[in-house]
Amino acid sequence: MFDPIAIKSQFPIFKKKTPNGVDLIYLDNAATTQKPQQVIDAITDYYSGYNANVGRGTYWPATKATGAFEATRTKVKDFINANSLKEVIFTSGTTDGINKVVNAYLMPQLKPGDEVIVTEMEHHGNFVPWQQACIKQGASLKMIPLTETGDLDYGAYDDLLNENTQLVAISAISNALGVKNNLEYLTNKAHAVGAKVMVDAAQLVTHEKIDVQAIGCDFLCFSAHKLFGPTGVGVLFGKEELLSEMPPLSFGGGMVKRVTLEGTSFADLPAKHEAGTSNISGVIGLGAAIDFVNSIGIEAIHTHTRALTDYAIEKFSHIEEITIFGNPKDRTSLVSLAVEKAHPHDVSAFLGERGIAIRAGHHCAQPLMDYLQVSGTCRISFGIYNTKEDVDRVVEALIEVRDFFA
Amino acid sequence: MNERLKQLYKTQILTNAEDQTYFKELTEATHILEAYNPMCGDKYTLYLKMVGEKIAEASFKGYGCAISRASTSVLIKNILGKSLQELQAIIEQFMEVINEESEKSPESITADEELLAFAGTREYPERKKCASLSWDELKVNYPSELSAGNSEDLELS
Repeated sequence: MFDPIAIKSQFPIFKKKTPNGVDLIYLDNAATTQKPQQVIDAITDYYSGYNANVGRGTYWPATKATGAFEATRTKVKDFINANSLKEVIFTSGTTDGINKVVNAYLMPQLKPGDEVIVTEMEHHGNFVPWQQACIKQGASLKMIPLTETGDLDYGAYDDLLNENTQLVAISAISNALGVKNNLEYLTNKAHAVGAKVMVDAAQLVTHEKIDVQAIGCDFLCFSAHKLFGPTGVGVLFGKEELLSEMPPLSFGGGMVKRVTLEGTSFADLPAKHEAGTSNISGVIGLGAAIDFVNSIGIEAIHTHTRALTDYAIEKFSHIEEITIFGNPKDRTSLVSLAVEKAHPHDVSAFLGERGIAIRAGHHCAQPLMDYLQVSGTCRISFGIYNTKEDVDRVVEALIEVRDFFA
Repeated sequence: MNERLKQLYKTQILTNAEDQTYFKELTEATHILEAYNPMCGDKYTLYLKMVGEKIAEASFKGYGCAISRASTSVLIKNILGKSLQELQAIIEQFMEVINEESEKSPESITADEELLAFAGTREYPERKKCASLSWDELKVNYPSELSAGNSEDLELS
């Protein structure tokens, strides 16, 4: 039985009080999630119990560290249903993964006249790298517009695709609107014109089962810290044939076969793309985070956060002075809103005083804010430890804010 | 709601944030500056009309939170009719009022309640940029922007 209170008790931060002496209601999960004790313990255990570099030493504790590190690769492979361990590359996070695809995969082949497609709802992390690549190579960046509901305009997308399209980069879920995109449709259409697809799964990873084979995407990135894991570590999934063909994402130790003065031959996948010492404790922490999620069940998490989103929208919609942004067919995990006459930062500061952590601002999605014609929104994003009571507390606080600024 | 924050807003800031007196374009402006915070998207255009060495007219337009809007309004009110030299002193005084590391109490810096209201941001470092946004812009850009003729001297000083 899914019990958010029991789950919450596994997160030590919730035993603390805010400086104002109240309980923390954490509703900024789209920015980062809190960490359960077992993830914190896994990182501490590595440093205090078997710290060593991985992949090299033949002694204990190097063998144990390598085992724990590679065990995470297997967990990730199963978690996202990749074909093989060769398709799982550890990065420093989603942004790092995207930049690596841009630099190692796209840039060497992008030429004037080529086109890259992104969406109007993208986070800057999945927008600026493509934009800069296109500027540098004289290619065109195309945007899938949004409809009035905040959904992608799939018809417009069909029209954008052509034989010049090299790659389509899409967020699985908009970090600012909570819109879930139809990844299978987008991927199938892109493949039909020979374009590759990269999915930014930063927001998806903690809310829904990822199945890269079902999606059919060529690349997919996510960060551990949005999945109850540590910061500074993430995953780049890539189809094996693409990762094999690509030049290494970066160069250095650990990714070579043989080095001479004249040249270097590179290691096989996945080592080829992991130069230097990885974030070992981070990777081990990610492994513990995946264990944690699996122990609850990603489907149960999905059901819970979606129910909270629906409940919040229902409650907020009764307050006349609140505008909810977007009305998409498929919304999950978060709500973006505005309170009449109150600037988002004033709203978040007021809620912060009551121990309610929400995010205000442009959410690193300025093109989307231009579309919404606002400078920012208040974003309430849910996690497994949130409850309907949390939403009720937010509603009370928002009513107070409304009355204050009225 | 927390009493401290309530005070901070209620005393002066909410009133000044809603004050429309200086909220307009100035078509005959001699200097136009833009105060922009890329972290939150708050953006104000500051219009100044210099006559000789004095700021004869000033106004602003733009969008932002209550604190940044009020502080911009108070800024405009305080620089009207002032010389460039006086302007510098006014800006420094305000910066001291909101500086949480200042050894001086806000009350010992100024008796002006409109300025003192922003001392509340000493307790809210994350809102300090809201209070100083337009003031920072004027402070950084006024030597080159406003002092046509002797800009080099001012930049060196």
